[in-house]
Amino acid sequence: MALIVDKHRPRSLDQLTYHDELSDRLRSLAQSGDFPHLLVYGPSGAGKKTRIVATLKELYGPGVEKIKIDARVFQTSSSRKLEFNIVTSVYHLEITPSDVGNYDRVVVQDLLKEVAQTQQVDQSARQKFKVVVINEADHLTRDAQAALRRTMEKYSPNLRLILLANSTANIIAPIRSRTLLVRVAAPSIQDITTALADSAKKEGWPAAAGLHKRIALESGRNLRRALLMYEAVHAQNEKITDDTPIPPPDWEALIGQIAKEIMEEHSPNRILQVRAKLYDLLTHCIPPTTILKTLTFKLIALIDDDLKYDVIKWSAFYEHRVRTGTKVIFHLEAFVAKFMRIFEMYLMQMDM
Amino acid sequence: MSDIRSFFGPKGGAAPKPAAKPAPKKAEEDTSKRRGKARKVVDEDSDDEVAPDEKVVKGTETTASEYFASSKSKPKPAAKAEAKPVPEVKTEVRASPRNKKPAVKEAPAPAKKTRGATFKRYDMDDEEDAFMDDDDGEGGDDIFAADAKSRNKRKNDDYVEEESEEEFLPKSKRLASRTKREADDEDDKPIVTKSTKAATTSKKRKTPEAESDEEDDEPASKKKPAPKKPRAPRAKKEAEPEDSSIQAILDDIPTVRAPSPPPQDPNVKFDWRKGQAGSGPPPNPTDDLPEGEEDCLTGLNFVFTGQLTGIAREEAQELVKRYGGKVTGQPSSKTSYVVLGADAGPSKLAKIKANNIKTIDENGLFELIRRLPAGGGTGKGAEKVREKRQKEEEKVKQQAAEMEREEKARKLEAEKARKLAAARGVTGPAPAAAPPSAQLWTSKYAPTQPQHICGNKAAVEKIQKWLRDWAKSRKYDFQKRGADGLGGYRAVILSGPPGIGKTTAAHLAAKLEGFDVLEQNASDTRSKKLVESGVSEVMNNTSLSGYFAGDGKKVDKQKKNIVLVMDEVDGMSAGDRGGVGALAKFCKKTEVPMILICNERRLPKMKPFDFVALDIPFRRPTIEQIRSRMMTVSHREGLKLTPQVLDALIEGSNRDIRQIINMMSTIKLDQTSMDFDQSKDMSKAWEKSVILKPWDICQKMLGGGLFSPASKATLNDKIQLYFNDHEFSYLMIQENYLRAKPAALGGGHKREQDLKALELMDKAAESISDGDLVDRMIHGPQQHWSLMPTHAVFSTVRPASFVAGSLMGSTFTSWLGNNSKYGKLGRYTREIHSHMRLRSSGDANEVRQQYLPVLWTQLVNRLQVEGKEAADEVIDLMDSYFLTREDFDSIKELGVGPQDEKDVNIDTQAKSAFTRLYNSRSHPVPFMKASSVAEPKKVAKEVPDLEEAIEEEDEGDAAEPAEANDDDGDITKDKYIKQPKAKPKRAPKKAAKAAKDDEDDDEDVKPAKGKGRAKAGASRSKAKK
Repeated sequence: MALIVDKHRPRSLDQLTYHDELSDRLRSLAQSGDFPHLLVYGPSGAGKKTRIVATLKELYGPGVEKIKIDARVFQTSSSRKLEFNIVTSVYHLEITPSDVGNYDRVVVQDLLKEVAQTQQVDQSARQKFKVVVINEADHLTRDAQAALRRTMEKYSPNLRLILLANSTANIIAPIRSRTLLVRVAAPSIQDITTALADSAKKEGWPAAAGLHKRIALESGRNLRRALLMYEAVHAQNEKITDDTPIPPPDWEALIGQIAKEIMEEHSPNRILQVRAKLYDLLTHCIPPTTILKTLTFKLIALIDDDLKYDVIKWSAFYEHRVRTGTKVIFHLEAFVAKFMRIFEMYLMQMDM
Repeated sequence: MSDIRSFFGPKGGAAPKPAAKPAPKKAEEDTSKRRGKARKVVDEDSDDEVAPDEKVVKGTETTASEYFASSKSKPKPAAKAEAKPVPEVKTEVRASPRNKKPAVKEAPAPAKKTRGATFKRYDMDDEEDAFMDDDDGEGGDDIFAADAKSRNKRKNDDYVEEESEEEFLPKSKRLASRTKREADDEDDKPIVTKSTKAATTSKKRKTPEAESDEEDDEPASKKKPAPKKPRAPRAKKEAEPEDSSIQAILDDIPTVRAPSPPPQDPNVKFDWRKGQAGSGPPPNPTDDLPEGEEDCLTGLNFVFTGQLTGIAREEAQELVKRYGGKVTGQPSSKTSYVVLGADAGPSKLAKIKANNIKTIDENGLFELIRRLPAGGGTGKGAEKVREKRQKEEEKVKQQAAEMEREEKARKLEAEKARKLAAARGVTGPAPAAAPPSAQLWTSKYAPTQPQHICGNKAAVEKIQKWLRDWAKSRKYDFQKRGADGLGGYRAVILSGPPGIGKTTAAHLAAKLEGFDVLEQNASDTRSKKLVESGVSEVMNNTSLSGYFAGDGKKVDKQKKNIVLVMDEVDGMSAGDRGGVGALAKFCKKTEVPMILICNERRLPKMKPFDFVALDIPFRRPTIEQIRSRMMTVSHREGLKLTPQVLDALIEGSNRDIRQIINMMSTIKLDQTSMDFDQSKDMSKAWEKSVILKPWDICQKMLGGGLFSPASKATLNDKIQLYFNDHEFSYLMIQENYLRAKPAALGGGHKREQDLKALELMDKAAESISDGDLVDRMIHGPQQHWSLMPTHAVFSTVRPASFVAGSLMGSTFTSWLGNNSKYGKLGRYTREIHSHMRLRSSGDANEVRQQYLPVLWTQLVNRLQVEGKEAADEVIDLMDSYFLTREDFDSIKELGVGPQDEKDVNIDTQAKSAFTRLYNSRSHPVPFMKASSVAEPKKVAKEVPDLEEAIEEEDEGDAAEPAEANDDDGDITKDKYIKQPKAKPKRAPKKAAKAAKDDEDDDEDVKPAKGKGRAKAGASRSKAKK
């Protein structure tokens, strides 16, 4: 009884509902016998992983679906022990090096070498190589990426890499040049409504086209999110109509509240109250950039056009700092203070 | 302008137009100069300039002849007048060095204008006055002559020119007009007085609330008779209670009306925080501090209240102290003046009213300092103080003499002993006692009698009494406590800050009671073993002094007693393992009296001594207590230190007697006297460096006057503050900067202020954000530690500079707590993610942001709303995502906003039903732990203990988990994914796994169950916690 987002996940390339061209290309790649290194990128909820799993199935057959989690221990040069989880099947490995933060280089070096130096034992296997899927490749440190470079060429007979990333911006050029770039665009609103309707049919839920459309719009073209929202709507309401309210996720509700508070009063005291809420979000593992982005767009909706440029400017400014600094709360708070200041100044001008 | 021209025109013939400028400018320069280093200048210049000296001496002579009979103080103002012209000379010299002579001549003119004190002299003898005025006329000439000459040179001197033009032009007009009249009838006394009086007010111009000049001019004539009257019958008046010349000055000081205290409203508490602002920085500081005669405020008591406008309260208080005045905290009938500022405390105002105390503002205070004669003149308070001081001095002399006697006696004795030894034919030089000069002053002047001890007399007596009765108390086995409760203790513990004579007191008390001291201090190792063996040895000993004595001394039969002084008990460190405990234990059974000494009684380390030893706290002695003894010492050493200087030293060292004596011995090395400023400097240099706590740093940065215009703190001082605790200071600033009320707000409309506040906060926040970038460069991979000062400025000093003002309560930084919470919840999220990995595709962030809100509604909320009926389905869903019972709690904890954990209220019945159900089932485990060595052991260890506690509440499945644990230990290595029965889809996979390690296949299912149970057990116990 899993959630619909996982229950109705397409398992083969044929079942994919959108980006048919891409599916065809992946299929032909898988069948060509010379599968290249892939760098699959696109926003979250676009279906990258689903496509890769389907492609792997195309490559190796249903055996890839038999997966397990292996926990491995790696030792860093400073003899610190790292515990690392790997999702494996007989044919492939899936790793998330960003789990171990700055030590990802160790993992990448050790693990890839180990995999690359062992040949496929199963003679009946369709491919001679193993595939290593690297999640969150854009969070790999420079060192780890550098460690990947040579490995990709040297061990290519035994090893293929599939890198998954949200954007190619953080991936160094040498890697980009060694991989086939596959962009998975976010599904269109239409794609999402179709997917939602499919799920509704499978679940036996009454179709509510208006609701589907609204969810699709609300989800920001993130299919995972759309499906989960759909699930949430069903979980919280007995009767579903086109006008059923869509509950926002908890953190988004809180950010909405923060935006309201910021608009209501502009004073140091209010900044203090906002700080407490920001801390709340941060400690509950909402990434600071998400907070900043969501907050900015919530605020933008509430202010005059004249101010929007400035607000966006400062938002971008502090987002950059969030990424370059360490104590993110300082920058978020600085943004709040900045917003209150320019907004108050604007109001003063209006009054005068 | 026109009148100036008419005045100067006929005489000088110099360009009339610029005339207005130089005069006031000089006056200004003059005053400022004199303030700086008037006296020194006098010395220098009077040497080469004979002319003014002669002239002034002449003036003084006539005055003195009339005056000396009645009051010694009178000549002083005259001397002052002498001081005045000279700086003027100097300015002029600087302006046109070739032109010395005329410059000298013109000197008296500005002197008259600036000093209030001088007018008395003018009144006193007209002759002199006339002379001066004559001179003045000439001087006027010369000013312009000189000025005209030096004009070219000065052209570049923009600073002086401009200032005088803008600021002093109006004043100069008035002055000049007055001087003109003066010139018209030079011998006319009243006008002279008036002019000087006006000058007096003009000096006050800078301070905002000085009475307007017009006002002042009028009463001038009224006030004038006051100083005159006493002059005639002066000779007789000497015996009067208050010398009227002093009285006149005192009367002359402009008082301000104290605002009536606000009606007492019991509901409204006085905001002390606001009141505290009085000690803050002055809003518009002057550096125009008055300079007066030495000790001129002697005998006067001052109380300060409210915020002064031109000077910080501390500075004002120091000023009063410097001139021998006394500063007290609360007004009383003895208070001579209350110096009133804005926002005075209501209670003080009430008292002022009740006692009818004179109130003045700071200008009044300055006036007092300027005008009162040295030594407080013949004022009655001053007389009293003088008398007292004389008595004190006598006492000091007496004590010094006594000390000398003692020393002599000692020497004599030593001499005798040596002779005796020589007579007996002892070979080798007798070990001569170290000559006093080689001794440290601290030991040389260590007290030898109880009355020598500064302060803590009661404590010393208590020790003495306890020692005296020790033998008696021992007879009763310390059961009889006695009237004073001293009989119940075998040991005492003295505690107090360093340098106040604890060790000295212990030794002295032992000596007086005829005990031999056996001392152990931090230089001895005092571990448990050594304390036990060493100290118990002591117990069985008696003092040798009872049987033998040095050459020439009698054997003292009584002297068989030993007292063990254990010094620096809190210095027992890591090397003295168990020492404190052993010592405390020993205190309970000791057979010799023990005196323990420590600095901090309240430390947890000193806890063992509670109840086993009598607590005798030592307090810092008061300044008076120390002062007399220090004066004795300084007298004995031939050092000339005035009480004020000593007070400053005592205060500066925070009443640490030892440090003061050391300071004095240092002073003795190269000088024989010291003035107030030197002593201040010295005590600052000797200041013990104190590491400030984060709180204090924050308070000082945001709340103190560190950034006020009057503050003398340099950037380095501020940076230094950050380095007091570089890990916390900036976090504290970040936490509290929003709570500060910036001083830079200024006045204005409420809304403007609000905007200004936001602007300042924004600047501060931006600077803090900058600081974080620097922090990253320091603590990040780059490790640029040399950027620490940069970080200090960006993260601490700069933000504080924007928002510094008054701090409305501060809290400890919440970053640390939040950071660790973030770490914990991050771990939860990753755990959940790793469990869900087989089913879902997103990364940890996606799991948190998209899955968790839905899972929360499906799991936590369902259990909350539907109760135990939903438990079954909830568990099914959890199993499908491989979530464990811990993950359920994590999900609950990870909710924010509308899903906040605080708002979740699952009733206990549903919860326990859910837990029971969860435990009764087996659950799929997605993976095994690789670190199988540590983990299972821990579980096996912990679980049995906790199970017992839980057993009673839940159904008795305690035995099962225990069993499961046993299983666990055996098969941990074989654990792979277990599929729930409900999942046929996964079956082939298990088969695949089984193929790999077929021998374990059979075991495979069972242990999974066991593990599930075990985990459940553990989780349950955790939940209970």
